[in-house]
Parts: sequence; C-alpha cells; structure tokens
Amino acid sequence: MPIWIRGLPIDVRGRTKGVFMLKNHYVQRFLQSWKIFIENPLGKTGVIILFVFMVMALASFVVPHINPMYDPMIGIDPNISISTGPSLTHWLGTDNVGRDLFAQLLEGAKVAFIVGLSSAFFSIVLGMVIGMISGYAGGTLDTFLMRTADIIMVLPSLVILLILSSLFGQFNIWIIVFIIAIMRWPAVSRVIRSQTLSLKHRPFIEASKVAGASHLRIIFRHIMPNVLPLAFLYMTFRVTSAILVEAALSFLGFGDPSQVSWGMMLQWVWKSGNMFHAPYWLLPPGISISLLTLAFYLLGRAMDEVLDPRLRKEGRA
Amino acid sequence: MKKIIELKNLKKHYPVHGGVLRRQTASVKALDGVDLDIYKGECIGLVGESGCGKTTLSKVIIRLCDSTSGKIILHTKKNGQSNLEDITKMSLRGMKKKGIRNKLQMVFQDPATSMNPRMLIKNIIAEPICEQQKISNIELEKRVVELLELVGLNRNHLLRYPHEFSGGQRQRIAVARAIATNPEFLILDEPTSALDVSVQAQILNLLNELRQRLNLTYMFVTHHLLVVKYISDRIAVMYLGKIVEICQTEELFNNPMHPYTYALLSGIPSTDFENKPQRIVLSGDVPSPLYPPKGCSFHTRCPFVIDDCKILEPSLLEVSEGHKSACHRKEEIQKLILDKFNINGFK
Repeated sequence: MPIWIRGLPIDVRGRTKGVFMLKNHYVQRFLQSWKIFIENPLGKTGVIILFVFMVMALASFVVPHINPMYDPMIGIDPNISISTGPSLTHWLGTDNVGRDLFAQLLEGAKVAFIVGLSSAFFSIVLGMVIGMISGYAGGTLDTFLMRTADIIMVLPSLVILLILSSLFGQFNIWIIVFIIAIMRWPAVSRVIRSQTLSLKHRPFIEASKVAGASHLRIIFRHIMPNVLPLAFLYMTFRVTSAILVEAALSFLGFGDPSQVSWGMMLQWVWKSGNMFHAPYWLLPPGISISLLTLAFYLLGRAMDEVLDPRLRKEGRA
Repeated sequence: MKKIIELKNLKKHYPVHGGVLRRQTASVKALDGVDLDIYKGECIGLVGESGCGKTTLSKVIIRLCDSTSGKIILHTKKNGQSNLEDITKMSLRGMKKKGIRNKLQMVFQDPATSMNPRMLIKNIIAEPICEQQKISNIELEKRVVELLELVGLNRNHLLRYPHEFSGGQRQRIAVARAIATNPEFLILDEPTSALDVSVQAQILNLLNELRQRLNLTYMFVTHHLLVVKYISDRIAVMYLGKIVEICQTEELFNNPMHPYTYALLSGIPSTDFENKPQRIVLSGDVPSPLYPPKGCSFHTRCPFVIDDCKILEPSLLEVSEGHKSACHRKEEIQKLILDKFNINGFK
C-alpha cells in the first residue's frame, strides 16, 4: 500500500530506505535547531516558564472536578462571604464572594493561552497572506494593501477596542480575539512582504514560471515555505501583545464578563475595593501576566537566534 | 531545414524613469532589433560579452518578460500540419491552454538558486509535469524516475533536497526538469558557467546525448567560446543588443567577417605559443545601452572605422551561403585584419 508524502505516493516496500532518510532528515534538522534553541539561556528560561503555565492551564480542567466550590466562576465556598487570605482549603485565598483565587488563576492561564495563541495565529495567517500577495503582485495592489496596513498600524488598538465595546456592549472573548488579530496583522505583513520581494526575484521562481506554475501556486508552494519560519517567529511576539491587550481590556471593564481571566481578576480586586487590602488577590494575576508575556518574548528571541545564524555567539554551532 | 522559431526585429527596451514626476526619460535598449531563425534539431550558440542582451533574449523568447516590439513565431504541428503560432504577446496561461507552453523550456545559469531549497527533488522534477498534464501519481513517479535515469541519476535521489547534491548533479536535475514535458526547444542560459571544468564536460556530453536521443533544439547562451565551439552547429555573435554575425561554427572560427568577432575570438587563450595569433585589444568600454551610438553600434571601438559607419546602420546581410554579417566593410575585413594584425582565421 502506498503511503503519501508531500502529495506523491511512495511505495513502502521498495523504498523504506528513502522514507527513513526523509524522516531522518526532518528529525535531524529539528534536533539541530532544538539544540541551539535550548542551549540559549533565554530560550531555556522561556521554555521552563511556558511549561509551568501550560501545566497550570491543563490543571484548570481538573480543579472543578475535585470540589464544585473550586469552579472559578460559579463555585462559592458557603462558609466565606468576604475576601480571605491564603489557607489550606484556598491556597491563594478567596475573593469577596468566596470564590477560590487559585482556581481563578489556573483558569486565567488557560484563557491567556487561548487568547494569545489564537489571535496570534489569526493575525499571522492574515499578515502572511496579505504580505505575500502584496509583495508578489507589486504595483497598485501592493500600494493599496500597504497603505491599508499603515493606516491600521497607526491606529491605537486598545482605544479602538474600547470604543467598539462601549458602542456594542460587552464582547464575547472570541470577538476580542478577532479584533486583536485584525489590529495586529500589518507589522507581520510588512516583514513578510519584504521577504517575498527578495524571494520573487530568485531564479527558482522564474524556473517554476517556465514550468507553467500559476501565480497562486508560486505564492503558496514556493514562497510560503520560505517565509514560514519568519512568520512563526513573529507569532511569538504577537502572542505577547495579544495577552497584554486582553488583560488591559478586561481590567478596564470591557472584557468578557462570563470568562475568568487575569485581567478580569484585576478588575474584580479593584472594583470590590480590595486593591490595597488583598495583595494575595492582586499580585498573582499581575505577576502571571508579566511572566507569561516574558516567556513568549524570550521564546521569540531564542527562535530569532535559531533562524538567523548571524545572531549566534561565536563557538556555538 | 524546418524552422522552429523565428524572431523578427525583436526589441526589448527597459524604461528608465527620472525627474520629479517619474516620467520616462530614456530606455535601456537591451535588445535592439534581433532577427534570428532557429532550425529544428540544431544547436545555436549565442555569444557576446556581459550586458549585450544574451539573457534578455532568452527571457523574451521563453516569455518571462514581454518584448517591446517585434515578433516571436513558433512553428508547431497541429493534426499533422505545420502551424504558425505568434507567441509575442501570448500570456503564459494562454500558451498553456494552447498546449505549447511545454514546447519551450529553459535551463538556468546557477543550479544552486534555480531550485527551491525547500522542495524535494522529485517534486522539483514533477512540477512541470503536474502543471501541464493530468497524470496519475504512479505514472508520475515512473516518469520522474525515468527522467532521473536519463540524466544519469537514480531513484535513490528522489527524496533528497537540492542542497544535498553537488553542482554538477544539481545541473543534471535542472536538465531533467527542463526535459520533463518533452519540449522541442530548450534554452540553455549559461548552464555550465557555474561548474568547474571537468563537470562542464560531463554536462556538455549529457546535453549532446539528450539532443540526439530526444530530437531537441538548443539555444546555448554563453560567453565561453570554447564551450560554444564544442556544442553548437551555428553561432550568433551579439553586441549591444544586436546580432552582428551569424554562421556555422566552423565558418565562424575559420572566416570571421566582423571586426568584433575577430576581437572576441582573438581573446581565446591558446597553448600554441609559436603560432599564437596577436590579440586585438579593443579600446574603451562598451557604449551605454541607454544611448547607443548612431550608425554602427560598434564604430566607437572598431579599428577599421570609416565615415559610413558613423552615419549608416549596417544591416545583417548574407556574405556567403549561411554566413551573415552586419558590417559595412565585410567584404574587405579579412584583408584588413590580415594586414593590420596578421590574423588569418582561428583554427
């Protein structure tokens, strides 16, 4: 039975060696990059912090099942009606209606990942497609797309979000994700465009034109694989900004009220008047936001080093 | 002899914009009226120094860029009858629709950059086939292996990336890609200049062998005269966007009829120190193709310039059978050269 690799069938019996070589090649390249990545102190720190938050985000699925009162949104400890400090039953204490703060912190980690990764993903996809098309097409289309990008780039995204949410009421978390994505594609598309400009004059693009490839095929088959690493690099930076925007929005009271997030926790501690009485409530979400954004930033920096050999220090492979 | 491609007064001018309003102020005349007939089954060599329009000519023929004026006529066969196809303004897609895109293919200069570094060899070779024919995957793989074997590689190379090959192997892959769709006419844009000499010979032999086996027609673009002497049946010499002399290879080396050809050929290094011909060193640089000189474009550097050369543009006229030269003094040029430089052909 033939197996399929990159659109062509490979007969396993005849060519196991070939298939093995291919896999080996991918694995080798990945391991090589991983080595550079993990040897970098920045990358290592980033990965460790990220790992901790990932465990937290996963734990948020488990916690409500241990005891219903640990549900971050609706679980209330019946014995408590004011904000209390850390105790054995509530590791970080409770908020003013008796909800567990640690459970909320875990839930916040999950939401931060969802918001950060998905809005970064959408903005990368948008930015990459627009950047590639505008770089490849050139001319009027290029001018139009890049001026649009300029306009969006200079708009203050937080203010726009505030205005929109005060006009339309409180947004669902996914709408916030999409708005962040739409506000954040221009920077990506500029970078991708410049990369495309240098790629489109390479002889292999001309060669595939001679072979009869259509423009779309050239863009997605020849240019995209060559800009993808760069897009991933920018994705890590987008994650950082998306998390920050969501937190700011929630803190200002324009977040999704049905969703616990770190920004929301900050908003509640402020609204309930515990800002200066309950450091156990105020500090954890604040520190978490800083640490998670820091982790993604470090990740991006380390990735930059993998992708751009010029940034590597002497003596490192 | 049947023609396969006819070029009629082909011109390619690149506009130059200047001033505040970015208006067109001048144009670089990369091709300035090229007439050329290419016959089926031959290998025509195109020589000339850098910037004379060799690569532009090949790009215009393959339709990678549009010509400014002139005509490119492709002779094809339709239902057994010969058919003329004017492809001057035809888009790549239009050519694909008519099924003539696959008749023309090209091998590029540098095999290192003419292949996508992130594609497997089999996908690189399969690309033109997939684009132009509907073919099942199993057949496609068979065809790719067949092509690889045709250029002296084997199926173990299918699943590798271009960077895992040497320069010569890469050029073989580029050739395999070019012949994948059974083309009739192949443009070879300096296919050997990025390779070292021993590998050059291998590639040239491969190309010669393929030409005979697959009944191909070549246009071999190069600045390397010995390579072109080895592979071509006819040679066209270009200077500043024009063809100045064209004839059979033997004839060109024995009886050149244009002073520029003499200068070009006298630059070939020779190991025969006793009978070494004197070198004709041209004074000055190639004139800018922005403002080519009036009259004969070579008159600024020609040692035998007369008044006519500065006013009248010489046309490419037949001197003897199959030998054309664009020079006002083509009849007497051999005597002039013999008197002044003591050169009598390049054997």
